[in-house]
Amino acid sequence: MASETTPVLSKQVLLWLVVACQSVSVMACGGTYEYAIEEFCLGKFRLDMEELDQHHWCSWEDTVEPYGELTNCTYLIALKMDCFWPNRQVDEFFIRIHKHYFHDCSLSGRQLRDPPNHILGPFIVVPILVTLLMTALVVWRSKRSEGIV
Amino acid sequence: PDFESSFVCCVWLCVSGGAGLYCNRTWDGWLCWDDTPAGTVTWQNCPNYFPDFDSTEKATKICSESGQWFRHPDTNRTWSNYTLCNFHTTGKLKMAYILYYMAIVGHALSIASLLISLAIFFYFRNLSCQRITLHKNLFVSYVLNSALTLIYLIAVVNNPDVVGRNPVGCKVLHFFHMYMLGCNYFWMLCEGIYLHTLIVVAVFAEEQHLHWYYLLGWGFPLVPASIHAVARKKYFDDNCWMSVETHLLYVVHGPIMAALLVNLFFLLNIVRVLVTKLRDTHRAESNMYMKAVRATLILVPLLGIQFVIFPWRPENRLAGEVYDYIMHILMHYQGLLVATIFCFFNGEVQAALKRQWIQYKAQWGQRRRDHCSMRSTSYTATSITEVPAFMYHHDCNSEHLNGRHTSEDSELVALKTGETYA
Repeated sequence: MASETTPVLSKQVLLWLVVACQSVSVMACGGTYEYAIEEFCLGKFRLDMEELDQHHWCSWEDTVEPYGELTNCTYLIALKMDCFWPNRQVDEFFIRIHKHYFHDCSLSGRQLRDPPNHILGPFIVVPILVTLLMTALVVWRSKRSEGIV
Repeated sequence: PDFESSFVCCVWLCVSGGAGLYCNRTWDGWLCWDDTPAGTVTWQNCPNYFPDFDSTEKATKICSESGQWFRHPDTNRTWSNYTLCNFHTTGKLKMAYILYYMAIVGHALSIASLLISLAIFFYFRNLSCQRITLHKNLFVSYVLNSALTLIYLIAVVNNPDVVGRNPVGCKVLHFFHMYMLGCNYFWMLCEGIYLHTLIVVAVFAEEQHLHWYYLLGWGFPLVPASIHAVARKKYFDDNCWMSVETHLLYVVHGPIMAALLVNLFFLLNIVRVLVTKLRDTHRAESNMYMKAVRATLILVPLLGIQFVIFPWRPENRLAGEVYDYIMHILMHYQGLLVATIFCFFNGEVQAALKRQWIQYKAQWGQRRRDHCSMRSTSYTATSITEVPAFMYHHDCNSEHLNGRHTSEDSELVALKTGETYA
């Protein structure tokens, strides 16, 4: 009797174990991953940003290194845990970081753009006016040199 | 690939969105996508992270009816369409190389023809007078402009690592390039002002002082070029100042267009005066001057049209290519055009060259014809066919009057209003 039930029982146990392992690995790329990046990556980033004066948090040149290291750290942990990167947890992690450190930075970025119109306008109009004045001057002077004023 | 784009995007993602059914703003790894209404397709310009991505092409992203971003059927992950960004790249690269070599050939031809013209003007001393002096200055400015452009094209444009290193030298080169461009157009303006003063203001008078013309032609273009350099350094300091996507270029192009418009106005005024006021009283004379004005009047629109059509590149691929070819021809073959119209098509230059050729042939034992006497009689007899030659001698008569042309002065005296020459 026992010999017949044990294989059934072990099959059930095996099935349950397999299911449990699957869910654990799924959970690993959710909760455990999140825990891992907060534990291993966030601490260093916090220290780096605290070293920088708060006024420099919005300056890209100063924050690029710690930010890059943080991104790298999350990537390596994802690699180690065999998770896809990027994923939802990493996105939410970064959104929280941004809300804390970068919430009042300007949105213009480093893209070169023209100066505003009240600066661009005079830069263009003044040379044109000077050109017209200079032309009038030359016409006037060459008139005068003929003796006709 | 570009951390800063993701940085900027995430900053912006923190701000909360609006109402209605829409796909949430998101970062797809390359670009940031805004809140999009459900059931629409949104687009942006392609990023420039990769060398073969053309940032004038469009990347698209579909927001489905249910308010979710489109998922690629193979991987079931959200997917943006970047296929157009490098789809046409090889063809465009080929076209770019063709245009580049066209530009180099154009400038080389311009330099060659201008140097030949200068040699002609310097060799034939009897051609020289004030208008020819202005031509010489114009040609020199075109030669320098073409030389600088060639250096710029070969050393900077074809050399991405120079652009990457961004040395000060390439910005200095760009400054001189802008200066020479200004010189070209301001010398054209000087020609127009000279003709205007000669014909309209002081009717057919002789000598003008050329100092002011030199100042306008060589000195004044420093002003827009310097202002452009200062503005560019302060507000749009890209590598080697190569970008043409900025309105700061109008700091140089604006005065050039103003000069061309003023020139056109002067020339049309001259034509008006010649046609209306002088037609009855000085018919032969006005015909002569009309020929001189005609050359300048042909050139000014040809030089200026590139600035007029520059902003309007067609969207269609084929039309865009045609536009590029036309613009390149208009821009880079200008020196050749100027040399041809002002020198090679000039009647007196052709006559002088013919004379020289006949002299050489005579030196090699052929029968020599008396060209000097033939020349002077042909001037008095056929005033219309030799009109340009007549005109230039008229221009220069202050230098030559008491010299060898006294025999033909009878006609000249009749033409000059109220003046008599011994």
